[in-house]
Amino acid sequence: CKTSREMRSQDPSQRRVLDNATRQRRLTRQLEALEKDNFQDDPHASLPQLVKRLPQFDENNESGKRRKKTRGDHFKQRFRKNFQALLEEEDLSVSEGPNYLTACAEPSKLPQRHFCAVCGFPSNYTCVSCGARYCCVRCLGTHHETRCLKWTV
Amino acid sequence: MTTLVLDNGAYTAKIGYSHEKVSVLPNCQFRSKTLRLKTYTANQLDEIKDPSGLFYILPFQKGYLVNWDVQRKVWDHLFGKEMFKVDFADTSIVITEPYFNFTSIQESMNEILFEEYQFQAALRINAGSLSGHRYFQENNSELCCIVVDSGFSFTHIIPYCRGRKMKDGICRINVGGKLLTNHLKEIISYRMTQFISYDRLKGEENMVMKDYVLPDFSSIKKGFCKPREEMNFTGKYKTGEQILRLTNERFAVPEMLFHPADIGIQEMGIPEALVNSINKMPEEMQPHFYNNIVLTGGNTLFPGFRDRVYKEVRALAPTEFEVSVVQPQNPICYAWEGGKLLAENPDFEEMVVTRDDYEENGHFICEEKFDI
Repeated sequence: CKTSREMRSQDPSQRRVLDNATRQRRLTRQLEALEKDNFQDDPHASLPQLVKRLPQFDENNESGKRRKKTRGDHFKQRFRKNFQALLEEEDLSVSEGPNYLTACAEPSKLPQRHFCAVCGFPSNYTCVSCGARYCCVRCLGTHHETRCLKWTV
Repeated sequence: MTTLVLDNGAYTAKIGYSHEKVSVLPNCQFRSKTLRLKTYTANQLDEIKDPSGLFYILPFQKGYLVNWDVQRKVWDHLFGKEMFKVDFADTSIVITEPYFNFTSIQESMNEILFEEYQFQAALRINAGSLSGHRYFQENNSELCCIVVDSGFSFTHIIPYCRGRKMKDGICRINVGGKLLTNHLKEIISYRMTQFISYDRLKGEENMVMKDYVLPDFSSIKKGFCKPREEMNFTGKYKTGEQILRLTNERFAVPEMLFHPADIGIQEMGIPEALVNSINKMPEEMQPHFYNNIVLTGGNTLFPGFRDRVYKEVRALAPTEFEVSVVQPQNPICYAWEGGKLLAENPDFEEMVVTRDDYEENGHFICEEKFDI
């Protein structure tokens, strides 16, 4: 187990320090990752579709099926836009009055509270290299060992 | 002519005929990573034998309907033989949409309801308006109310006056159940791998700490909390169960609804946004809004939510005004119940757009009649 002296003495010349802009970018990307809708792309989408189409001897049945299928394809092409594309389509910057963008809540007037990235209790200190918060020297040690600049967001 | 009420949410769909009860079903499709080419829709989740390798396909993204493929498949299943057996020519539908819905999505929905499913008549409305209607039905002396709709994708604060929503006061906080779950997932996966015994109160004294037993899908199908008597405060458990020990996450995660800045989202929390919204309203109406705050949506089911909102709003509101926060018994189905009442309302016939109207006038008439 490391002594507190060993944990505190991180040689400054060896550690990379991120500047404010990079820290802000990492934070934004982390927040966007939280907004993920918890669904993954279909891993079976790349597999060839098993077409189990038995020969149809009934004429009416076939024409009915064909009509349904073309309708489905038409919808597929038209209605597959993602959220960002739809938002840009709306072109809200030119419209007046309340809309999706103006309805967003404003920044809070209360001061921001900070919590330790390791244990979750209130923190007073910031990591010199990456900007993460910690509450005590033990948490700093854990942070340096496991998380600090250890992965790309 | 029967009316089908569908509260189309990003997480669950609340659906039922207006003369019957409501069913709450997941609004998505499931596929198994192990068994290929078998897709389950909505409530077929119970039929899956091996729930460990599932993944979801959601039609909603950031709260708005983008993937019509999946949504139509879910609706096909719900309207079809196994579920509600809808007779389209004889049914009108009340369906909910998110606030400030995009025009392309509204038009697509019109097309799908009238041209593909061929409902007799349709009414597209915000979920909050249905909640407001339900509230005014119970308290018909009140003129104004303000609805807090906290769901899966985001939280909206909507003021209503005499049944019409006040667009200037609508406020959206981008924190919803999805964000809370994702955040909890992240901090658990980090903290459980570290041996953190930084509980300020050790062992028995710590009233907040709880152990959660994880499901392993063979003997334990669903996870559950260990009762306090069985908890082992010193040392490890002898049984082979996987345990998650939760301490401050239990309240730190829902706290994000009240202070999104805790995690870095620069927005106001629910109480602040409520006061902000009310301050944008004309002065004569403000005391009425403070007196009629309604909490709806799944996130309001956290224990102590209502008291916390009351305390914070009371602290921020001017002392002359009375503050009253109401939480209905079933916040998830409150909007659906409003839809049911609306369908029985004598004015209902004038609010809907019938299929003939749509075929004559197209999207224009829907834009006029529906107040989205």
